[in-house]
Amino acid sequence: MTVSSAVEAIVTSEYEHGFVTEIASDTLPPGLDEGVVRAISARKGEPEFMLDYRLRAFRHWQTMTAPRWAQVHYPPIDFQAISYFSAPKSKDGPKSLDEIDPALLETYTKLGIPIEEQMALSGIAVDAVFDSVSVATTFRTQLAAAGVIFCAISEAVHDHPDLIKQYLGSVVPHTDNFYAALNAAVFSDGTFVYVPKGVRCPMELSTYFRINARNTGQFERTLIIAEAGSYVSYLEGCTAPMRDENQLHAAVVELIAMDDAEIKYSTVQNWYPGDAKGRGGIYNFVTKRGDCRGARSKISWTQVETGSAITWKYPSCLLRGDDSVGEFYSVAVTKGRQQADTGTKMIHLGRNTSSTIVSKGIAAGEGEQTYRGLVRIATKAAGARNHTQCDSLLIGARCAAHTVPYIEVKNPTAQTEHEATTSKISDDQLFYCRSRGLTAEDAVSMIVNGFCKEVFKQLPMEFAVEAQKLLSISLEGAVG
Amino acid sequence: MSAVSGFEQWLAPAEAAASGLQWLATRRGEARARVQGQGVPGTKQEAWRYTSLTRLLEQGFSAVAESVPLQPEAIEHLLIPGLEAWRVVLVNGRFAPELSALAGLPAGVRIGSLAEILRTDPDAVKDRLNTIAGPDQPLFSALNTAGLDDGLVVLMDAGTALARPVELIHLSVGSETPRVAQPRHLVVLAAGTQAHLIERYVTLTYALYCTNSVLEVTLGAGAVLEHQRIQLESPDAFHLAALYVRLGAASRYRCTNIAVGASWARTDLTVRFSGEHAACDLQGLYLVGERQLLDVHLDVDHCVPRCVSREYFKGILYGKGRAVFDGCVHVARDAQQTDAAMTNRNLILCEGAEVDTKPQLEIEADDVKCSHGTTVGQLDPEQLFYLRSRGIGAALARRMLCLGFAGEILDALTPEALRMQVTQEVGRRLEQAT
Amino acid sequence: MLSVKGLRAKVGEKEILKGLDLEIGRGEIHAIMGPNGSGKSTLAHVLSGRDGYTVTAGSVTFDGQDLLALAPEERAHLGLFLAFQYPVELPGVNNTYFLKAALNAIRAARGQPELDAVAFMRLMKERLKVLHLDDSLLKRPVNFGFSGGEKKRNEIFQMAMLEPKLAILDETDSGLDIDALRIVADGVNALRNPERSVILVTHYQRLLDYIQPDYVHVLARGQIIRSGGKSLALELEEKGYGWLGIEEAA
Repeated sequence: MTVSSAVEAIVTSEYEHGFVTEIASDTLPPGLDEGVVRAISARKGEPEFMLDYRLRAFRHWQTMTAPRWAQVHYPPIDFQAISYFSAPKSKDGPKSLDEIDPALLETYTKLGIPIEEQMALSGIAVDAVFDSVSVATTFRTQLAAAGVIFCAISEAVHDHPDLIKQYLGSVVPHTDNFYAALNAAVFSDGTFVYVPKGVRCPMELSTYFRINARNTGQFERTLIIAEAGSYVSYLEGCTAPMRDENQLHAAVVELIAMDDAEIKYSTVQNWYPGDAKGRGGIYNFVTKRGDCRGARSKISWTQVETGSAITWKYPSCLLRGDDSVGEFYSVAVTKGRQQADTGTKMIHLGRNTSSTIVSKGIAAGEGEQTYRGLVRIATKAAGARNHTQCDSLLIGARCAAHTVPYIEVKNPTAQTEHEATTSKISDDQLFYCRSRGLTAEDAVSMIVNGFCKEVFKQLPMEFAVEAQKLLSISLEGAVG
Repeated sequence: MSAVSGFEQWLAPAEAAASGLQWLATRRGEARARVQGQGVPGTKQEAWRYTSLTRLLEQGFSAVAESVPLQPEAIEHLLIPGLEAWRVVLVNGRFAPELSALAGLPAGVRIGSLAEILRTDPDAVKDRLNTIAGPDQPLFSALNTAGLDDGLVVLMDAGTALARPVELIHLSVGSETPRVAQPRHLVVLAAGTQAHLIERYVTLTYALYCTNSVLEVTLGAGAVLEHQRIQLESPDAFHLAALYVRLGAASRYRCTNIAVGASWARTDLTVRFSGEHAACDLQGLYLVGERQLLDVHLDVDHCVPRCVSREYFKGILYGKGRAVFDGCVHVARDAQQTDAAMTNRNLILCEGAEVDTKPQLEIEADDVKCSHGTTVGQLDPEQLFYLRSRGIGAALARRMLCLGFAGEILDALTPEALRMQVTQEVGRRLEQAT
Repeated sequence: MLSVKGLRAKVGEKEILKGLDLEIGRGEIHAIMGPNGSGKSTLAHVLSGRDGYTVTAGSVTFDGQDLLALAPEERAHLGLFLAFQYPVELPGVNNTYFLKAALNAIRAARGQPELDAVAFMRLMKERLKVLHLDDSLLKRPVNFGFSGGEKKRNEIFQMAMLEPKLAILDETDSGLDIDALRIVADGVNALRNPERSVILVTHYQRLLDYIQPDYVHVLARGQIIRSGGKSLALELEEKGYGWLGIEEAA
């Protein structure tokens, strides 16, 4: 059997997490105007400064036009057909897991994310976002003892307004791009993390996002601040139920690391990619940016992207502090009609800053994927270093992989290296594994996991396992 | 601003060659319409992202019709000693027969002036001229086509071969107003032919001028072309070059592109494979000194299976200048078993220099071997130390290492006399730097 | 245990095996010798089920089963092992992980329970010791960045781990210096037992100085043209293939 003979099967592998939870939603009618922005703010009972912030962003957004990207193809989005707010009915917020709608808990169980079990077994604090409002937060007490604030951003607006005022929009201003402006105007909820000076966050922080209510765009907002000498690792994982309409997801994530602080941000993204003909599926247009503000600070992005119809994201690092470090490790899988345009930007501003980029793209079926990366070494970034490794694995004759790196060097003491390769799973490799007793499917899975290894080893253990599983599921039937 | 208002003066008011030819008038007219149809590209356009046309536009270049009579002695110092070649000399874009050497060409081979062939035997070039560049020409190629007049023509019948290289010397002579020359070259090698083409862009005086050249190359099945392009324009000059190459089955094309001169230069190399088992090897060296901008764009289109391409460009920045490398290898659906490797290496030797490099792959077939790599860095301090510990002065050590870096490209130049001359020139420039 | 009868096989339109017969009994070591292009590697590949070969006639039975009807992994499950002439590199795939997956797939097919990590490690340590190998290659990706000798040793190590009933060593001696050859040969000898048969495919007699075969066959023009004992190999060495009227392919 050859690799090519197996390719059709990849495209037909069904989305595992496809079901819709029956749960009553409190949803705003579709459409977006100033009234909707005010309504979102009012429902959340936000203070004046937040409403002002949203309105500024909304007014700016109105002056912008939706971007069209060269390598990504989709019909224009009707922003007036989207509902901008949806919350589970129980208004007062649960005090414990017992108060959570059992249907909701069951959803997580179906996804293999039993909250209680996770709490008990892995020591992970789970802040589960179901649609737009945070419904379960755990381990808060333990974190509070360490001085770590880990809560829904809507709570932070009330409880820590000074931090929000100071940092929200300070890395990704609302003027940054079309979707960042939209997010700033209508963001529903998300996560806020604050790690005080010198504190090593006692556990991995994790939030599971899930899109559910029909026709509801999700606009999460995440803000993580690591004060001098602190450390935090944040994990984000997402799945979404099967549905017909395209759903827009436009999140904004801002990370801020002060002197000697380190933030590790990991993502496993497995949203509904659409059917074999490319219908349905999530549009995932995300702005993620980390600001290494302090000297010797470090921000590390790791992502495993297997879902969504269209992924457009460039988790980036502004390396402002001297000796600061930026990292980007990525695995992106596109199959069926999926499109992914992803990569990173490493902006070297401080002296002796260094960055590492490892991008592994796997294109199967008619999947299309583009790595787009920018490495910029500014005039003052003496001694800056970058190493980029960018590999594509092609499975099937109808997929496509593009590599578009931009390298801009303005300092004579900087060193940059960029390497890229394109390869396929060879018939020789497949035969070798099979002659040792492995099925073709296991062989493909093993080779693909080997290809992605450099990235997986960056993930926390629990996630690495999940990521490998996800990859195997994604390429299931690769050799039928 | 409409492009044509900025470039109206580039199109000679005087009568272009063979204006009576209907097909030629149509091609010029279409190109003119294309120029009128597009604006001046700005840095928002991907192809001009790092290279601004502002400086070029400010010069107010215009086409000048008058010819410059020169005696052979006037160019003697520009000739490469010992180089025996079929020589075509263009002065400001116009054929200068008195300076050229074309006596005794073998049967089946025509080398000469485009204007002349358009006058005497237009059918010989009708099917090829402007067809390789195609209808969607970017601004400067369209400008060249709109003003299409004179240049080099090489036509080789099937099975012929040339024992000596063809040498094109494009000589620029300054004039009172900054002038632009738009030479147009055509090289058609039929099946099984072999040739060696040396293009040299040189100047008699340190003057401000602009050259906007277009070269179209077609290689028939199994044809082999060794092509060397040496750009040694005046330090004040502007230089634009577009090369369009179409490669037939099992043909071989090697282009060595040395860019040293000009204050502002842009080269676009577009290679398209049209038959299987062909191979192309594009390599180059750019040397960027004070206030210089050198921009190289490559576009290699593997649209048929089983072809091989290598792209290897190196740059040394020794002054406050800017180098741009933008290479794209495209592998079309079904172009299986393509083998392509692109490499771009840069040395930055001084403060204020900038390199912008963008090596791209666009791959739509799975059974391919493609890679690219780029580096930007400095001379290796250990190597420098090693040389110095052996008693070599720092400046010389740096120069030696730079020449070593450049040597990988320079060593491809043949014949030896040419390699020597260009290497010496590169060494001279590096002396200023180190 | 292996019975090849009248085997004919093509690569594309070209017939390489032209009616080959071969009988291999339990515990026997057979050397198949022949010049380049005689069809030695084709035989090894057809037996292990590689793509790209069309069997046009004949049969192959292995322990009574029709081998040709089986997928490569099913043949491995039955106890067939091919040591590749050019072992394939699997970047990023850890050697230990790979072996464990292969061994457990074979055990599962045989209805044996999976080995857990501890038992597997113990087995691995034991086999390394038998072969006098150090464990450095376990931590590396399969064959990736291995020298020629390391790759061949890794093949023998896999053989030790997977415990095949029939091992086919395809030109295992090619590209090895004497020391590496001795290590590989010692490994094979250490793995000899009355239940395990071996086919040594080789161009040269050299390997047979280290591994004593019970039978030697000469393959030429797609057929076994002569069979004999160890002495046949020595005779070949002395007189060259020309002795049997065989042209060495260029």
